[in-house]
Amino acid sequence: MMFAYNFKTCFGMQFFRYIVAVVMIVLCFPLPLFAAEGGEYIAIRKEGSGKIALAINKLDTPVKDESRLAQRLDAIIHDGLDFTGLFTMISPPLNVKDNSNRVNFGALDSVGAAVYADGSVSNTSGTVILDMEVYDTAGAKLLLKKTYNGNQLQLRKIGYAFCADLVELLTGKKSIFGSKIVFVSNKTGFKEIYECDFDGHELRQLTNSHSISLTPALSPDGRYLAYTDFSSGRPALYIKNLSNGRLSTIGKSGISIDPGWRNSREVATTLSFEGDQEIYLIKADGAIARRLTFSKGIDLSPSFSPDGNKMAYVSDRNGLPQIFIEDLSSGQVNRLTFSGRYNTQPSWSPAGDKIAYTTWESGGEINIFVTGIDGSGLKQLTEQSGENESPSWSPDGRMIVFTSTRQGSKKMYIMGSTGENQRPLLPSEGEQMQPCWSLFCQ
Amino acid sequence: MKSKINGIVILALMVTAGCSSRSAVTAPEAGRSQAPSPKISSPVAQTVTSPTVLPTASPNVSVPSSPASSSGYGFDQWQNGPLGDVFFEFDSTVLTADAQSQLKQNAAWLDNNSANKALIEGHCDSRGTSEYNMALGERRASTAKEYLVRLGIASLRLETVSFGEERPFDSGKGENAWAKNRRAHFLMK
Repeated sequence: MMFAYNFKTCFGMQFFRYIVAVVMIVLCFPLPLFAAEGGEYIAIRKEGSGKIALAINKLDTPVKDESRLAQRLDAIIHDGLDFTGLFTMISPPLNVKDNSNRVNFGALDSVGAAVYADGSVSNTSGTVILDMEVYDTAGAKLLLKKTYNGNQLQLRKIGYAFCADLVELLTGKKSIFGSKIVFVSNKTGFKEIYECDFDGHELRQLTNSHSISLTPALSPDGRYLAYTDFSSGRPALYIKNLSNGRLSTIGKSGISIDPGWRNSREVATTLSFEGDQEIYLIKADGAIARRLTFSKGIDLSPSFSPDGNKMAYVSDRNGLPQIFIEDLSSGQVNRLTFSGRYNTQPSWSPAGDKIAYTTWESGGEINIFVTGIDGSGLKQLTEQSGENESPSWSPDGRMIVFTSTRQGSKKMYIMGSTGENQRPLLPSEGEQMQPCWSLFCQ
Repeated sequence: MKSKINGIVILALMVTAGCSSRSAVTAPEAGRSQAPSPKISSPVAQTVTSPTVLPTASPNVSVPSSPASSSGYGFDQWQNGPLGDVFFEFDSTVLTADAQSQLKQNAAWLDNNSANKALIEGHCDSRGTSEYNMALGERRASTAKEYLVRLGIASLRLETVSFGEERPFDSGKGENAWAKNRRAHFLMK
């Protein structure tokens, strides 16, 4: 089953959170005209031509009182777009608007801005309304005009909704706005699972086991959280339905650990109830669908290609752990990693073409590598920075979240897919580990 | 006389060994490098029978093939039950000669205390990656169990669990500490 996630699915999807109101996105103008222009814009920009020079003007507020609201949205939008690494943010010139409040494209051109966005925000009895316009400065053309609204508690979602539209307009691809990262932290004294936005905001605790909770993984549609939990006294896989809190378990002897979702209904995990640690495909209700590996030794850490037909995983069938790829229809297995004596934690890029993993070096460091799915184009992304583990790709395949001990204890870091701009994600006490970046956007 | 005293010591050890409650893992994550406190017992193993069951280790008496010493290899500051722990080489699940010898001792004790059951916990040091260590820990526990089963102990009496690198005994760094964490740890059930 293809869980290919596209822009339409992202915005056509309804979600009912019992604690959060739904953000309403209202279209003021028919889209087709502007989508066509957006498509033209994308065609003009060559693939991989570098960052987009973007100028965003401060949001107007018809009512003076709303200037704080405008400032907050300014920051959310600016920081959000900056986070993606797609843009060079350019300050709009002082004369960006002329006396009749028309956009001065000449002035924008002269500061090097290729794209210009501005808008206004108002607050009408608790409903925040954001009106945005986006222009291509070279052609002085309107690319997007759209209105977003929601309540005052949803400023981040409103800002992200615009950012998502802007990125998808300019790149032709799904953005990361609205995606989530789940991870483990021991800040309460117990290892529990947490969730935050892709940029570290809106942290919330998902488990309260007072035990050890590990290896969280969100299903592609965001409905389920699979994780390993020691509450029963042994490491066991739990699948939690996030809308109603219901838990499923597998109920077999031995361990059940380290899940990886194949699609929104099936998750693979390592079970040892038949005497050896093998990977099995499990349905969301805990029933075993089928066994996937058949070799002596440890088989672990499944990560699927976007179409669900291939699985990267760890096996120590040859001694120390290496990464293999299995074709689920033919059963054929090929070894992926040949350099490095201990390779684990594979993560298949949602773009389909690359696999990130970690190598434990003989000196004790752990470093993140990325390789093409045929093993070519091997690139090392971290070095001389302690232990760097658990890489997980952003849904657009452009970024990787991982953990690093470069500053002492384990913390989450973010970097571009070629290792650029490595920086911490989330200031928080305690250790952070085993991050998993969702495939869905909310 | 000496054998009687040793027998009483062993008896005392077995009574106090107890086991930590493992059915619900509730203790906060903490290294165990502080002085070990006696483990909380659930219903303790039945008190043992005659002191002559276990041959004693005395310098003047030649020791039979499974000496009943409760110090040395399998009994460090984190293990004071009747069954000694076994230790592993780095990234290995192979039983060394010392490990096998300890397991033979454990089998002898279990043989003579047929009502008792044991829980074997597999542990790893903190190097490498934690998911792999969880699986490796399980293999260590299983390997120890299989060895005991081959020596005639009923499989039903031996439960295994893995803690991977999550519950280190010695939370220090360096091989001295790491070596202490690479173990199959025995607890009475």
